Amino acid sequence: MSTVESRPTAPARPAAEPARAPGRPPKEFDRPRFLKLFMGVFFLFLFAPIVLVVLFSFNSSRSLQDFQGFSTRWYETFFESESLRESLVASLEIALVTMVIGTILGTMLAYGLVRARTRVSSSLNVLMLVPLVTPEIVAGASALLLFTQVKLELSLTTIILAHITFSISYVTVVVRARLVSLSHEVEEASMDLGATRWQTFRLVTLPALWPAVVAAGLLVFALSFDDFVLSFFTTGESPQPLPVRIWTQIRFGVRPTINAIGTFMLVISVVSIGLALLLPRLFGRRESGLKVLLGREAA
Amino acid sequence: MNENRFASGFLVPPGVWLLLLFVVPLVLVLALSFGYTDDLGEAIYSTRLDNYERLVDPDYLPVLFRSVGFALAAVVLCLLIGYPVAYYIAIFGGRWKNVLIALVVLPFFVNYLIRTYAWIAMLGDDGLVNGLFDSSIRFLNTPYAVIGGLVYGFMAFMILPIYASLDRMDPALIEAGKDLYGGPWQTFLHVTLPHTMQGVLAGSLLVFLPAVGDFVSASLLGGPEEVMVGNLIQQQFQASDNWPFGAALTVAMMAFLMIFMLFYLRAAARETREATA
Repeated sequence: MSTVESRPTAPARPAAEPARAPGRPPKEFDRPRFLKLFMGVFFLFLFAPIVLVVLFSFNSSRSLQDFQGFSTRWYETFFESESLRESLVASLEIALVTMVIGTILGTMLAYGLVRARTRVSSSLNVLMLVPLVTPEIVAGASALLLFTQVKLELSLTTIILAHITFSISYVTVVVRARLVSLSHEVEEASMDLGATRWQTFRLVTLPALWPAVVAAGLLVFALSFDDFVLSFFTTGESPQPLPVRIWTQIRFGVRPTINAIGTFMLVISVVSIGLALLLPRLFGRRESGLKVLLGREAA
Repeated sequence: MNENRFASGFLVPPGVWLLLLFVVPLVLVLALSFGYTDDLGEAIYSTRLDNYERLVDPDYLPVLFRSVGFALAAVVLCLLIGYPVAYYIAIFGGRWKNVLIALVVLPFFVNYLIRTYAWIAMLGDDGLVNGLFDSSIRFLNTPYAVIGGLVYGFMAFMILPIYASLDRMDPALIEAGKDLYGGPWQTFLHVTLPHTMQGVLAGSLLVFLPAVGDFVSASLLGGPEEVMVGNLIQQQFQASDNWPFGAALTVAMMAFLMIFMLFYLRAAARETREATA
C-alpha cells in the first residue's frame, strides 16, 4: 500500500529518480506522503477537542466560541465551590485506595498465576481476563445489585470496592508480563543460598518486579480517577466523585467550569501516566515504560 | 514448602475477591432477571420469563439491533482509521515510535465525559464549527454523532494491538514480498495483513465489546432516536427503577457478547500459555 500513493508525485521531478545510487535502499520513496498527511489529520482530530477544552478553560467570558482574553476565573469558581472541592478530594481518595489495594491484590494474583500450576490457577487465568472485556455498565449494575442485597449503604466505600475489582486485572496483566521475563534461576539460586520462599519473594522477586508494580499502580490510579460508569452506579448522595459531578453538569448544558475541571483532571491523569512511563528509566533500566505498561515482555 | 503450595497461597485473596465482587454479582443479575417488581416498586426474585418476553417488544428490539449496528460501524471506522496509523508508526516511526504511540494513548487518559463534552462544544447547533463557518448544520442528535463518539472514545483499543502485532512482524517479510515482485497492495494483502490478523481481531473485539454497552455517547451526542441498550439498562437501574427488567437487558447483552468474549479469551489464554511455557 505504501508506494501507490506517492507515485503521482514522481513525474513532478523525473530527474531525481535516475540520480539515485543503485545500491541504496529506496527509503524516501517508500515513505508514502499520503500516509503522512493522514497521520496529520488523525492527530488533528485526536487533539482538537482536548486543546479546545484546555484553551477555553482560560477564557475570560462564558463563550465557547470566541476566546476573549486570559483569565483563571473558572478555576476560581471550581476551587471556591465547597462541594466541588469535596468531590475532588473524594476522587483522589478513591483513586489512592484503589491503587494501593488493587496493586497488592493484582501483584499477588500475577505471582500465583505464573508460579503455581494447579487447576485453580488455570481457571483464574481465564476469569481474571473477563473484567477487562466486560462492558463497564454490566460491572456497575451488578455491583449496585450486590451492595443493595447485602444492605451496604452506597458511599465512597462502595465505589472503591467496585474500582478495586476491575483494577486487579489490569495490574495482573502488567505485572505478569514482567514476571514471565524474569529468570526463574535467580529465585532458585537464592533458595540454594539458604533463603526461605518468603525471603526469596521479598528480597529477590519483588524488587525485580518493582518497576512493573509501580507502573501498574499509577495506571490504576489514572483509570480509577477518571472512571465514570462504575462510580455512577455505585455512588452515594454526597460526596460524589468528580466525573459524576461532570455528568450532572453536562446534562444542564455547556458550562465553562467543566473546562476547568476537565483540564485539572487531565493534568492529574497525564502526570500519573507520565510517571508510569518514565519510572522504569528512573529505576535505571533501559527498557521503555511503554513496553512495561503495554504488558509486553521486556526483551 | 514446595513452590506450588507457596504460590497458590497468593491466589487466595485476589481469587476470593473476584469471586465475591465479580462472579457473585453477575449471578445475582442473572437471578433477578427472572424476577418482577411488586406494587411498592420492590424488586422480587422469582422464576418468570416476562422480562425476556419484553425484550422482543417493538419498543425495545430495535434498540438492541441499533446497539450492535452502531458498535459494528464504530469497529469498521476504528479499523479503517487505526490500521494506517498503527502501520505508519510501526514501519516508519523510527526513533519516534514510542513518542507517537504515547501521543495516541494520551487522549485516552482524558476523561471520556470531558472528551465527549468537547465534541458538544464543537459540533453543537451554536457550537464552534457552526460559528466558524456561519452555518447551521445539525451534527448532534444524529447516528453519525453517536458512532463518531464511540470511534473517538475507543480508538486506542484498536491501534495498540495492531501496532503490537505490526511491531512483532519481521520487516524483512515485506521486503521479501517486494522482492518476489508483489506490488505494494499485493504485499500488504498477502503478507502484512495476514501476519497482523491477530492484532486486527483483538482490536476489533476490544472496541466492539465496550461500544455495545456504552451509554455515554448516545446520551450526550444522540437524541431519542439514537438510544442504545446501555441507555435502557441505565434507565431501568436508575430513573425508572425496574431492576428486574434492567437485569434481563444486561443478561441478554452479556449472553450475546459472551460469544465474542470466548473468542478473545481463548486467544488470550493461548498467548499466555505460550509466554509462560
